[in-house]
Amino acid sequence: MKKSLYFSLIFLAMFTACKKGFPVDDDGLLITTRSDCYVSSFEILGADYQTVRSKAAVVDTTAQTVNVEVLFGTDLKNLYPQFTLVTDAKLDPKIPGKVDFSDLSNPKQWTVVSGNRKVKKTYTVYLTVQKIN
Amino acid sequence: MKKTHILCLLGLLIFAFTGCKEKEYAVPTPKSGLQNDVIKRSLGPGIVGLDMEFAYAMALLPEQGKLVSATVTASIAGATGTYLDNKFYSTNSSGVEVGTVVGSASVNSGNATTVTYNADISAATLRYFYRIPEEARGRDVSFTFSVTGSNGETVSYKMGPYPIRRMELKKGLVVIDPTTSYLSIADMAVYDATFAAANPTKIDLIYLYRAITGVTFNHALVAPTASAEYRPGISLPAGLNNKTKMIKAWDVRDQQLVIGSAVATSVFVDDVDLEQRNFTDAPDFAINTRAESGIWLETADGKYRAYIYINSVVNTATSKQMTISIKRLTMK
Repeated sequence: MKKSLYFSLIFLAMFTACKKGFPVDDDGLLITTRSDCYVSSFEILGADYQTVRSKAAVVDTTAQTVNVEVLFGTDLKNLYPQFTLVTDAKLDPKIPGKVDFSDLSNPKQWTVVSGNRKVKKTYTVYLTVQKIN
Repeated sequence: MKKTHILCLLGLLIFAFTGCKEKEYAVPTPKSGLQNDVIKRSLGPGIVGLDMEFAYAMALLPEQGKLVSATVTASIAGATGTYLDNKFYSTNSSGVEVGTVVGSASVNSGNATTVTYNADISAATLRYFYRIPEEARGRDVSFTFSVTGSNGETVSYKMGPYPIRRMELKKGLVVIDPTTSYLSIADMAVYDATFAAANPTKIDLIYLYRAITGVTFNHALVAPTASAEYRPGISLPAGLNNKTKMIKAWDVRDQQLVIGSAVATSVFVDDVDLEQRNFTDAPDFAINTRAESGIWLETADGKYRAYIYINSVVNTATSKQMTISIKRLTMK
């Protein structure tokens, strides 16, 4: 009687141990079933962490571009771009600090990766500076 | 079994009755002998020329005697303006502090500041203001607060050590476009174009205000090396070529740089903030600077780093100016 109880417990432990957990990616972020993959809005801050946009950034999810005009006199070498993404998506590469946008002829690119990590879309950020009329 | 139940019930009843007993308030017995205590009232880093403020409380039971004198001894003698207030303060019904004189005006002698009490004082809290002297720059300063009673007893209380910062502070400089728009960090002073032409190496920044259609320019501080588009309409005197590096800042409303009580903050720029600031890739211009914003800067020779706080700006038809305050650290 006791023996059969022990065996039942061992089997139960085996089955519970094999239960599938939630999948996570290399960054420890949850991989979901969502395949949506786009940038919903874009902000860019100066060295003083205040916006340097002269007007709202234009995000084109079809062309996969972000067009943003910054104020005259913006220090282009020390900017902090901020992407707002669709639920569960992530950005690659990450933005750990300030970004140098001073080479306007070579626009920066970031890739949005969907929640299921199967769809990837690369966005190009075109930055222009407000000009004196 | 029944006996146990009865005993438990009795126990509970006793507990319930004793638990509900009301405890009567008793006036605490004051400590015998001369007592003293100190708190530091001022906040922020100690900077030469500013005051450190303490409140020194002392008391002796009336039947044991009266207070005779209170002395504060600083490890480094305070500058002119150091004093121990001879009043204690209470707040009246309107919330205004009212001082009551309890002794003679304080006397400074060497490192010590003393108030001699009037004849009938048993308890008082006196405020001590230590004006930080030049000798204390970059050193630690500590204080011994002591009081003597008429019973012959003397007690003391030690405070510190408090590190005094190396930085210097200047408040309320007014830069005006176009008359006095040249700023020297080395001198922490504002000059006109004639002085700038005669002393070009001293000029680190130029102030200007421009209202330009289509862009937000407004109040700006630029280095002499800044591109001409960032200093429109300015013909620089010959020889001005200091490339001052600048980083714009917002929400760094340093309490020690604020003028008056318009902006109450608990933010302080310290030596370490200037020492650790990274000026790599910093530009030589700051356009569209606003009141209550700031600028971190490093002079062209790397000798000074500073934080400029913009207290206020004026741009009327007749006046374009900015009032600024500076904390400056000598780096080499």
